Amino acid sequence: MAHSARRDSPELPDLSLLKRLVRDQLIYLLEQLPGKKDLFIDSDLMSPLDRIANVSTLKQHEVDKLYKVEHKPIVSISDQICFLIRPRIQTVKWICDVVNADKAAGKFRRYKIIFTPQKFYACEAVLEEQGVFGDVTTDEWAFYLLPLDEDIISLELPEFFRDNFLAGDQRWVRTAGSALHLLHSLFGPFSKVYGIGRCSKMTYESWREQVEQGEQKARHAEIGNVFLIDRDVDFVTPLCSQVVYEGLVDDIFRIKCGCVEFGPEVTSSDKSIKVMLNSQDKVFNEIRNEHFSNVFGFLSQKARNLQTAYDKRRGMDIQQMKTFVSEELKGLKQEHRLLSLHISASESIMKKKTKQDFQELLKTEHCLLEGFEIRECISFIEEHINRQVSMIESLRLLCLLSVTENGLLPKDFKSLKAQYLQSYGADHLLTFSNLRQLGLLVEQQPGETLTVMESKVGKLVNDRTAVKLTDAFSSLAKKSHFRALSKKLNLVPKSDEEYDLRVPRDMAYIFSGAYIPLSCKIIEQVLERDSWTGLEEVTRLINGHEFAVTGADPKSKSDAQRIILVMFLGGCTFSEISALRFLGKERGYKFIVVTTAITNSSRLLEALLDNNV
Amino acid sequence: MSTLKLFLLIRWAWFQKSSQKADEYLREIKEQNVLGDAVRQCVEAAAHEYDPDTQKALMRVRSPEPEPEPQNHPITEAASFGKCFLTEFSPDQFVTTCRELRVLNAVRESSVGMPLTHTQFKQMTLQVLIDRLVYRQFYPLAIEVCRYLKIPDYQGVSRVLKHWASCKVQQKDLTDEAIARAVCAKVGDSPGVSYSDVAAKAYECGRPELAIKLLDFEARSGEQVPLLLKMKRSQLALSKAVESGDTDLVYTVVTYLKNEMNRGDFFMTLRNQPVALSLYRQFCKLQEPQTLKDLFNQDDDHQELGNFYVTSSYRDKRLEGRLAQLQSAVDEYNKAKNDFAAKATEEEMRLLRFQRKLDDEKGAGLLGLSLQATMEALMSLGLHKQAEQLYRDFRVPDKRYWWLKLTSLAEKEQWEELEKFSKSKKSPIGYLAFVEVCMKNNNRHEAKKYVSKVTPEQKVKAHLAVGDLEGAADAAIERRNESEMGAVLSRCSASDRLLMDKLNRARVATAKK
Repeated sequence: MAHSARRDSPELPDLSLLKRLVRDQLIYLLEQLPGKKDLFIDSDLMSPLDRIANVSTLKQHEVDKLYKVEHKPIVSISDQICFLIRPRIQTVKWICDVVNADKAAGKFRRYKIIFTPQKFYACEAVLEEQGVFGDVTTDEWAFYLLPLDEDIISLELPEFFRDNFLAGDQRWVRTAGSALHLLHSLFGPFSKVYGIGRCSKMTYESWREQVEQGEQKARHAEIGNVFLIDRDVDFVTPLCSQVVYEGLVDDIFRIKCGCVEFGPEVTSSDKSIKVMLNSQDKVFNEIRNEHFSNVFGFLSQKARNLQTAYDKRRGMDIQQMKTFVSEELKGLKQEHRLLSLHISASESIMKKKTKQDFQELLKTEHCLLEGFEIRECISFIEEHINRQVSMIESLRLLCLLSVTENGLLPKDFKSLKAQYLQSYGADHLLTFSNLRQLGLLVEQQPGETLTVMESKVGKLVNDRTAVKLTDAFSSLAKKSHFRALSKKLNLVPKSDEEYDLRVPRDMAYIFSGAYIPLSCKIIEQVLERDSWTGLEEVTRLINGHEFAVTGADPKSKSDAQRIILVMFLGGCTFSEISALRFLGKERGYKFIVVTTAITNSSRLLEALLDNNV
Repeated sequence: MSTLKLFLLIRWAWFQKSSQKADEYLREIKEQNVLGDAVRQCVEAAAHEYDPDTQKALMRVRSPEPEPEPQNHPITEAASFGKCFLTEFSPDQFVTTCRELRVLNAVRESSVGMPLTHTQFKQMTLQVLIDRLVYRQFYPLAIEVCRYLKIPDYQGVSRVLKHWASCKVQQKDLTDEAIARAVCAKVGDSPGVSYSDVAAKAYECGRPELAIKLLDFEARSGEQVPLLLKMKRSQLALSKAVESGDTDLVYTVVTYLKNEMNRGDFFMTLRNQPVALSLYRQFCKLQEPQTLKDLFNQDDDHQELGNFYVTSSYRDKRLEGRLAQLQSAVDEYNKAKNDFAAKATEEEMRLLRFQRKLDDEKGAGLLGLSLQATMEALMSLGLHKQAEQLYRDFRVPDKRYWWLKLTSLAEKEQWEELEKFSKSKKSPIGYLAFVEVCMKNNNRHEAKKYVSKVTPEQKVKAHLAVGDLEGAADAAIERRNESEMGAVLSRCSASDRLLMDKLNRARVATAKK
């Protein structure tokens, strides 16, 4: 893809600063409890913590033993215990149990709870209710942002999605606002902020409030523009199968905190290997954004290059050999190791994904996106459910069908759901209820004429009354309007043209040329226009609370103006990140993606299951 | 050095009279390099003087830099001498002293009556002076002083205004409206003056209405909440908390309300505040499931009640309890007019009873499995009759049942049964599936039996599946389908020369037509 890249891309700011800041703060907090202590860590904080401070750093600050929070009685014998947790009621309740059990046993210890990234009043209320408020000290570790790579920052809050969009619980909005505030104070001032979605709006407001309260320092901006986007603006994209290398690896092996564990089938030994996946890995960096069909070509080219490099050894004299060994060999060996890992990972992916089934699955997805041969798609999904291919996959196809078609016909809606329940158990009634609430799996309203009328009204009078009318309509049912959006924004390229995946011409390449991700397309359009003007129809269809605010005056047309922070509230996929990287290369921007968590179709849907209560 | 000072003073006097000797004296001093000290001392002396005229006289000996606000004040008028003689003399001391003197002179006025010496003033600091002025209610003077001495608003003017406002709200002779207006007009949006503090004062003085009015001016809604709670305006407090976007604050109010109000009122209050309600629901889900039920009940939210019962049915270990919960769910779903969910739940109950019966009779271990898994388990136990009963009772789609039976029989290698089954009626899933499943279970012989039954469109695929290239080729040629011929060709190896020739010929022939 290098040939299409603009050469004047601006430099990204150094995000590792974020890591240093939180590491220092953590050490300070640990030293607040002097002496030896045992540390209990929430299991989902383990990996993020590992990126900030490794075990030896912790040991240096008198952490004796490390335990995972397991909601069981503890075995620690230390007389000082420190809990490092997310502010969740269940965990706090468990700590109360621990403290009360100690009390009952007449054991005296000192307890300290470090909430990260912040504490909630509800947690303190539980401490009070359980009568241990006076026995523990609490603190906050402002670990809002974890840089996963030079252009990806994660809040590592997967529950953000369910809490905010399903339960309507806005407790994390302030967290997102604080995260943005932190970025603003380190890399700002931002000169322009765009956003779409209710949560984005609230996050923006929370951030503004914090800016007004704090003092402002005039500094040189490193990030010029910010774009906030809610996950529920675009559900189609995360529901599609990913076919870009990094996305595929995530779909199949699950990348956790920028690290993947390749099992025995990849390593061809009986051990698993953990590999960090980021731009430091030279091999990975070249293939991460590539469509999978190109990956093998790249890898074999790479292998040949590597061989040539090794071959240089022949015909060297001793002195040259010495330099070779001391300077190049180590790098080559490292590269070699990574290369062979990625080759076997690709082989493993090939095995799973090039089967007939996968091709048909992709074909069905493309048909759904295009709105073509829907009946065939429905029978494919039916068979998928009947043959119990995969619980989550079936659900994903059902949702994709519903979202692209703006709901299912009542007959299909009932029969597909009934068949799904027969396959996977009646407890999925609850799952369906959740999906309906989010508008992911809905029945077409008998008054589908509404949509028709609506668009007519929208075309005739594009004024306030129309907006009001639309509001009234959209309150009737959450609708996706995918077809209309797709048409308006040309999301589905014409299928009669040949699409060369090696030389992508637009962001659609991340889905084999079949679909340009809606989320990224919106970002592209707004940046191009420098406002929402001209996108009124689109925002109306999304019902999106869009906004654009001009902040600090950009003093000069500096590089910072071409660095754009995109914040996904509710998660984003690796495919979307790849698409944005592509867009950046085309237009001479650099994107930094901030997300509440990295997501994909499985994580998205698993968050909505309710059969595990 | 006091001689020097005197010297300067004399010199000043001389100068006043335009004596030529003045210059001489001054030069004399300057030559001794003590002019700077002399000037400094004069300024210091001025600071300690009470009489403005003497102050003036002393100040005037000082250097001539541009004085602060020259025309307005007697002291500054006095300051101007020796400028031509002294370069590089910092004006700071002079300027500060000037200002301080002005302030001191102002508070020494008889109307104020604070005869402070300069030393006292320095000792007690400016902050305290302002405080004293404020306590004596000399607000305008205090503000004047703050502005004149350029104290940052936050420590200066705002502080005075805060005191003023707190005092103002205690004026019994004015109406609430008038006070609120007056306060707002003066305070405006000065930084550091918290309307909520002022309101708290008003409330303390027994003027709740005024307090509310004042709170309305508070821009940060979060700040309003504590006082509103104290004033028992809990509804208002809740909506202000929601407005602030701070969920912690919302939660604080909710907890407070929960303890203050009776349950009914509490729920009603929440009902009007969706944000607070969802927050409380989340809390109940984890802490008080029973309350959650009451909440739904109050709202007549039958759909959620149904879901609630389904959820709790999974917590019940006993089958009877579980069935009872599910029955409640069915009732609620019916009330919610959600026929689908009601029916699905009823079926689940029927399935549970069926599983229980079989578990008791045969020890099949079915309880809790999905319908599909139950049928699978039955088939693998060889209980085909029971499986078929489920198929009929639950109107399982034919396709599902056929797939299931097909795979189950093939996996258990019951080939005769399978053949019988294939002939029981026309297969709803076609016969290619039979071929593929047999091959998957490594039985080419059985697979071949079904090839002939496959529809013409799938013939080639079926032949290929069993590895019969010739058959596939014949079928493709018969169908004159180029892409199918291509598919067969791609599977041919070098040893299939004859077949490849045949196919290529047929391909050319097809292409011609």
